[in-house]
Amino acid sequence: MAEPRRAPGPGPAHGEQWLFCVRVGGSRYAFDAGLVTEVVRVGPLTRLPAAPPFLPGVFAHRGEVLAVLDLARLLGPRPVAMGASTRAAVVRAGPWHLALVADAVEGLSAVSSVEPPPAEGGEAAPWLTAVAEDEAGPMGVLDLPGLVASARARSGVP
Amino acid sequence: MSGVAVILFQLGARVYAAPAAGVLRVALPRGVAAGETSLGRPFLAARTLVADVGGEEAALEVDQVLGLRTVAPGDLHPLPPVAEGMLGSRALSGTALLDGIPTPVVDLPVLLEERRRARTGGERSGDA
Repeated sequence: MAEPRRAPGPGPAHGEQWLFCVRVGGSRYAFDAGLVTEVVRVGPLTRLPAAPPFLPGVFAHRGEVLAVLDLARLLGPRPVAMGASTRAAVVRAGPWHLALVADAVEGLSAVSSVEPPPAEGGEAAPWLTAVAEDEAGPMGVLDLPGLVASARARSGVP
Repeated sequence: MSGVAVILFQLGARVYAAPAAGVLRVALPRGVAAGETSLGRPFLAARTLVADVGGEEAALEVDQVLGLRTVAPGDLHPLPPVAEGMLGSRALSGTALLDGIPTPVVDLPVLLEERRRARTGGERSGDA
């Protein structure tokens, strides 16, 4: 897997915003880069009993036990094919600290403008706040805290 | 050395830990399958972990008991808050870092109480 792109300068130019890009299937998604604290290689994963499909497990990182959320499984039926080289973005999504995996972690992208999401946003529609584009193509901008909150709301003990 | 004593056991393909204080004894199976819990089914059910559930003894069938370990307080972690609300069972109290690997810590009485309630609910609905 290619190394995630790094910020090319000290910060975004005027009018630009930094997004963190990932790939799920054939689609690119992004979210506020400020949510990302680091990109790490996922350690040995321990599955938790009675966990939903989008929670493949937890792993130890810097003395903390982090939950891994599978963005592909959150947005659709097919999980990320995880292996020894799988990277995760460690994020703070609202009150939650977690590691997010996708089919590919692309890294940072500075975008100068965003557009409203299309009327037909597919499976990600409830959490799409905008669409943006960079040299690699278009991406759907996700409300990551909202996505995680929604996942919590639809799982767990009733 | 201070710490929490846990019993390690294998159930199916996975290893779990249960606080030893919640386990009355390790015993042989009685011959009648006790039923599945949220941990799944054992392969062989060669041992049982017996706990007190509301004043009555209940048993969890496991494949093998791996031993007793003392876990240092710093190696005991609560469930990640994001995961805590996502699990379909309240029996998981956290994880123990054993050799750097998180091992689920199971509250045995809670697990067995969940099984009892699920079974009772099934009987009420005529599913038994």
